[in-house]
Amino acid sequence: MLQQILFAFTAIFFAIGGSILFYVGSNLLIDKLLGDNGAPPEKQYRRDKLREQIRPWIFIGPALLFLSVFLVYPVFKSLQLSFWDREGENFVGLANYIWAFGNAGFLTSVLNNLMWLLFVPTMATIFGLTIAYMTDRIWWGQIARTLIFLPMAISFVGASIIWKFVYDFRGPDSEQIGLVNAIIVWFGGEPRALISILFWNNFLLMVILVWIQTGFAMVILGAAIRGVPEDTLEASMMEGASQTQIFFKIVIPQIWPTIVVVWTTITILVLKVFDIVYAMTNGQWGSQVLANLMYNEMFRNGNSGTASTVAVILMLAVMPIMIYNIRSARNSEQ
Amino acid sequence: MKTWQKTSVALAITAAVSSAAFSEMPKMGSGDFNWANLDKFKSMDLSGETVTITGAWLAPEDDIFRSILSHFEAATGAKIQYTGSDSFEQQILIDTSAGTPPNMAVFPQPGLAKDLASRDLLTPVSNNIKNAVLNDYAAGQSWVDLATYKNKAGQENFYGVFYRVDLKSLVWYSPDNFADYGYDVPESMEELMALSDEMVADGKTPWCIGLGSGAATGWPATDWVEDMMLRTQSPAVYDQWVANDIPFNDPRVVSAIEAFGEFAKNPKYVSGGVSAVGTTDFRDSPKDLFSVPAKCFMHRQASFIPAFFPEGTVIGEDADFFYFPAYESKDLGKPVLGAGTVVTVTKENKATNAVLEYLMTPLANELWMSQGGFLTAHSGVDTSLYQSDSLRRQGEILLNATTFRFDGSDLMPGAIGAGSFWTGMVDYVSGISAKTVADEIQESWDEIK
Repeated sequence: MLQQILFAFTAIFFAIGGSILFYVGSNLLIDKLLGDNGAPPEKQYRRDKLREQIRPWIFIGPALLFLSVFLVYPVFKSLQLSFWDREGENFVGLANYIWAFGNAGFLTSVLNNLMWLLFVPTMATIFGLTIAYMTDRIWWGQIARTLIFLPMAISFVGASIIWKFVYDFRGPDSEQIGLVNAIIVWFGGEPRALISILFWNNFLLMVILVWIQTGFAMVILGAAIRGVPEDTLEASMMEGASQTQIFFKIVIPQIWPTIVVVWTTITILVLKVFDIVYAMTNGQWGSQVLANLMYNEMFRNGNSGTASTVAVILMLAVMPIMIYNIRSARNSEQ
Repeated sequence: MKTWQKTSVALAITAAVSSAAFSEMPKMGSGDFNWANLDKFKSMDLSGETVTITGAWLAPEDDIFRSILSHFEAATGAKIQYTGSDSFEQQILIDTSAGTPPNMAVFPQPGLAKDLASRDLLTPVSNNIKNAVLNDYAAGQSWVDLATYKNKAGQENFYGVFYRVDLKSLVWYSPDNFADYGYDVPESMEELMALSDEMVADGKTPWCIGLGSGAATGWPATDWVEDMMLRTQSPAVYDQWVANDIPFNDPRVVSAIEAFGEFAKNPKYVSGGVSAVGTTDFRDSPKDLFSVPAKCFMHRQASFIPAFFPEGTVIGEDADFFYFPAYESKDLGKPVLGAGTVVTVTKENKATNAVLEYLMTPLANELWMSQGGFLTAHSGVDTSLYQSDSLRRQGEILLNATTFRFDGSDLMPGAIGAGSFWTGMVDYVSGISAKTVADEIQESWDEIK
């Protein structure tokens, strides 16, 4: 345990220290090599130009390198592998794609992902918005916000373990240690093995992601709400508008762009959901999602062809939302 | 307290706790173990060599394994690092494909080892060791055959040594509970079913069944189905099933699955109800045998399960086992299901061969025998060193079975035996029909042909 804590601190130290060293160091280096050193003005001008041209590349260089190696290359490799067979040795054309659309597991995953897509971003945004709006007015608003934001600090796997205990099931004659079953028993009902209930178990898993993401939505939307001009609100109150009318007719339209951004960001995250499903049910009981299916195909079945196919389909599904998000971010800057 | 004082207290506590875990393992030179086996290794100088081993053993088995290897480390100077994982089957695939394998890997599934051998990801083992297995193990040829696979070029090589064998056709029970209610140990399957019904009539739940195991959830059910398969069909049919010479959804296989369902899907038979079967962890499920009042009376599980009984349980007194009986009416003898872990070399170095040799010595087997939950096919061990009479009896069952078969799912290719067969079983206990589940498993088998 002690060893792991020391390890973690060493890792943080070297990661941060290394980054600082690189950026500060390379900056100093380039200033030294190409800096003012008493040369004639014309030469100096060219040096300045060169220096300023190189500098941006130093700063984005490492990021570009990592992105190309770990993001760009895998995209093309996955695209290629999806047209090859399970060992990646023979070309099979569209066979994997045909398999995907005929496979029950794949179709279940697509349906589940769609449900996740509809449920989680909507609920997280609604909760985030409501909480942001309400906590603005009360004296313990900050405390409430901190508590709601706390789940964002833990990993998805950590959250899954917590909720695994919440949904825990023991036999009817045993003491229930799971919160939900304990409440059910307290009200006189029979405990149920919650994560194995077909169809509804998906929503139980979605609750976990909503729990995590509400904090994110709340913080962003809270800032947006603060951005609504005071004058508008005062004017509407003088006109006799009720609180609900102010909320729905003034605040929401004003912060609508932010709501959309929050909604699409959470959507992109939801399409990638893996950890929660892997840790809670491993895709059993009809809770399979595309990311977990991809993992299973690759590392259980050892089939790089089908796994890449699922990955490509997932990527195609995310792209429209990504493009929309980037477009609206660009537009809002202009 | 000053910082350095705090740190030293923390370190002292850590040291005390970790040394306590090893206090049960025999010290060098003590007991009747074959310490002389170490002499050959003392003359080897492997200092500076590190051997990394991965496997599926977690606590407390991993500590036992490490302490057995510590004598090898002391004698040769090599360092050995063992890491265990619940998702070993997936991890080893990742590690070997990525080119960063451990030096050695302990496979619970020869079928998976066979997969990796066919992709040239395992290193063949020397003929010396192969001959040692032939000579030293009871039914040595079977153990050699089980570790002989084809490599990518189609050439057959010998790839590993079976260290630690499990007997699977056992039913664990609490003799006290049986005595309290006047139950007798059943000698045939018909008697077993009658006993279960008797327990239900007395208002009790006869069975604890738990399939949970992290990423490996579902495997205990495959053992049940294999046992039922051996008791309803001839061993030849079993072999055909394992090799997919008959399809997985053959009616005989489907009825074996349904025979398992007669136990697991009967709500009156299972502790916690049918929904608990798929969600209870296999390590937690036997604990219900010992609860007061007992939540169940029988638990069909392999010989390694005592490691997960409550602390202080004495095998033979607090817990005991009987052979999972065969149908008297079917005339198929007394078939026995067993399994074993095969130790293979995934990345050879100077010390890997020596480690294999060490695991083949009587000493390495005897040390674990004394800790319980371990059986061996090595004919050179001193059987009096088994931790208990029960284990000796298990060893005898192993050696005297009329039909012995290796766990089927461990022989099937990884995608089935460590994949769709497991998930299919979880689906089955969740309510899907045996025929549908068998169809799906056969489909997944067709995909990899």
